[in-house]
Amino acid sequence: MKRCLTIPIIVLFLLALSSVVHADEGHSKFTKHFQKSLFKITQKGLFSVEMIVKEGELKVGKNEIDLIIHDSNDRDVVDAKVEVIPWMPEMGHGVPEKPVIEEKGGGLYRVKNIVLIMGGNWELRVRIKKDDQEDMAGFNFPNIIGGQMHRHQMKLTPKPSEIDLSTVHLSSRKIYRVSYESSPSPIKLNKFHTWKIKIETSDGKPVLGAKITVSGDMPEHGHGLPTEPAMTKELGNGYYLIEGIKFNMPGWWIVNIDIKTSSGRDTVTFNLYLK
Amino acid sequence: MLYKKTINYKGISFILLLFIAFFFLNSTVYAGTKEKNIHLWSEEEEEILNSLWIGSLPPLPESPSNRFADNPKAIALGKRVFFDSRFSGNLKVSCVTCHPENMNFADSLPLAHGMGTTRRRTMPLIGVAFQSWLFWDGRKDSLWSQALGPIESPVEHGFTRTQSAIVIIKYYKKEYEEVFGPLPELDIEHLPKNAKPSSEEPAAFKAWLSLTDAQKETINRIYVNMGKAIAAFVRTILPGPSRFDRYVEVLNKDDRTLLNGILTEDEIKGLKLFIGRAKCINCHNGPLFTDGNFHNIGVPQPPNLPPDLGRAEGIPLVLSDEFNCLSKYSDAKRDECSELRFMSTDTKRFRGAFKTPTLRNVAERAPYMHAGQFSSLHEVLHFYRDLPPEKRLPELAHGELTDEELRQLEAFLRSLSGAPIYAK
Repeated sequence: MKRCLTIPIIVLFLLALSSVVHADEGHSKFTKHFQKSLFKITQKGLFSVEMIVKEGELKVGKNEIDLIIHDSNDRDVVDAKVEVIPWMPEMGHGVPEKPVIEEKGGGLYRVKNIVLIMGGNWELRVRIKKDDQEDMAGFNFPNIIGGQMHRHQMKLTPKPSEIDLSTVHLSSRKIYRVSYESSPSPIKLNKFHTWKIKIETSDGKPVLGAKITVSGDMPEHGHGLPTEPAMTKELGNGYYLIEGIKFNMPGWWIVNIDIKTSSGRDTVTFNLYLK
Repeated sequence: MLYKKTINYKGISFILLLFIAFFFLNSTVYAGTKEKNIHLWSEEEEEILNSLWIGSLPPLPESPSNRFADNPKAIALGKRVFFDSRFSGNLKVSCVTCHPENMNFADSLPLAHGMGTTRRRTMPLIGVAFQSWLFWDGRKDSLWSQALGPIESPVEHGFTRTQSAIVIIKYYKKEYEEVFGPLPELDIEHLPKNAKPSSEEPAAFKAWLSLTDAQKETINRIYVNMGKAIAAFVRTILPGPSRFDRYVEVLNKDDRTLLNGILTEDEIKGLKLFIGRAKCINCHNGPLFTDGNFHNIGVPQPPNLPPDLGRAEGIPLVLSDEFNCLSKYSDAKRDECSELRFMSTDTKRFRGAFKTPTLRNVAERAPYMHAGQFSSLHEVLHFYRDLPPEKRLPELAHGELTDEELRQLEAFLRSLSGAPIYAK
């Protein structure tokens, strides 16, 4: 007798629970199944994608994620062709390494070898093709902090002609507009350079009292700058002096300027191409 | 008929002549275009060739930490000290022991040998005035502080600063005073000779501690000035023009036919690889063919030597060096010590990294690498090519290079020799 009662109670409990979850999603046909996942419905509304980043958050270097894909009737999407493209929207380039996708069954796809080559704003674009239906979703990962990644993981990055060499840039979260002037100019190999940078808010007001750190790299090599440049003087009116910048190899370099004020922390990245 | 036939013969031989002439002409034209192609460089390539050319070497850089660097009397004094074996524990070792002037100032031993054997190869001195960091690990940031290191090393000169000051007072009083002013009072008869602040020799360190502060300061001043004089001489050791330099010099002139015969076809092909696909200029750039920085290229440490962390050891040493650019013995202002102030202190990144040596006169300087691991350029080039990809840094990546191409690269490296120039 007791058993007969227990089963209906469990069933009732489960029903109640599932209705709560459904209510969370605003009575959408799509359901979020995992608490810690990032949830997106694809552009045409054909699929839902849940993304779980293995180490909690993405980092510069190698990453792994799980994707759980459902269709509009909350059924697992199996045997789909899934593609993941890491993309830097502001810089208009992706990465040389191709993510590797393994289907684990039940709508789960494990994506390995997502190699982010530098800090900044990243987007992971997920393309799904199931039978003749195709759709995509983009997941944004703003302001991934750059750092030393494991060497040997990097390969060729975009050709010089695709690199934006301008000396004025918005920071990755668009908090600051930063420009630099190098002395001496043009920049030469193996010589010290001093940069006078100007920091403004996005609406053109000079930024005062910023804490600034400088790093850099050759994204094709991953060895960083040969020196440790530093902001040595605030010149006033939004101008700052950075000393100790040096480049020791020909090719593509990036310089990241990390800016911290009461309006927030943000990083601006400049590209350089040295001969 | 006969007449006709004769005409025909003449015609045939005329045609034959034409053919021969045509072939002859053709072959000359062919040879001409072939040579032209060899000397054909893109604008960007010509820019790179010029950046490597000896003509791009700027005048001697200033040496803010040594105000005697260009003083002719300091140069003359430094030169005498450089050759003087009285500055050694066994009266046999001088700077030229490891830096013989008739061998481009670099010996041919895998490991430098003075009073004993060191753990690293002697570094070349050619163009060393342009280097920011000295020694394979950059543990010194000036030529004068570098010169003082080997003197007190037990396996090199096996000497002390106290003994050096005594030798200067005894034998170089006049020359010293002409440059640095009057020698300070020092009672050399009652000094403990074997006295230096060196943890390698506790007895010598104890003797050093027995001196008064004034005595220590006097000895240090004389010792530092001696280093500054040696540096003034070593600064004058510069590369002489090589066949490669002559090639670029002629290339910069209009008449390219003059280029023939300066470099062989193999050397030119090697040069093309060097600045192109083989990417040697990633590190070997500029007129001295070095970026002056530190790289771990994966050279195996010889099994009979202890592990060598290279630059990771040099970073703390130069920061704590009593004679560095920011020390009281340096003549530089704080602003003039950019290298030290903005030095990367990332010892993890520089583990096993060693300074890129110049490639000028490289063919005259076997064996190679920081412990003389490779006995020939052939071995060096094969090492770079055959390093497994997982051990190879991205900046060392080069296309697949054939044996033939390695041979051409070697031929080019052999064109970089020229007699060094130095203060006579």
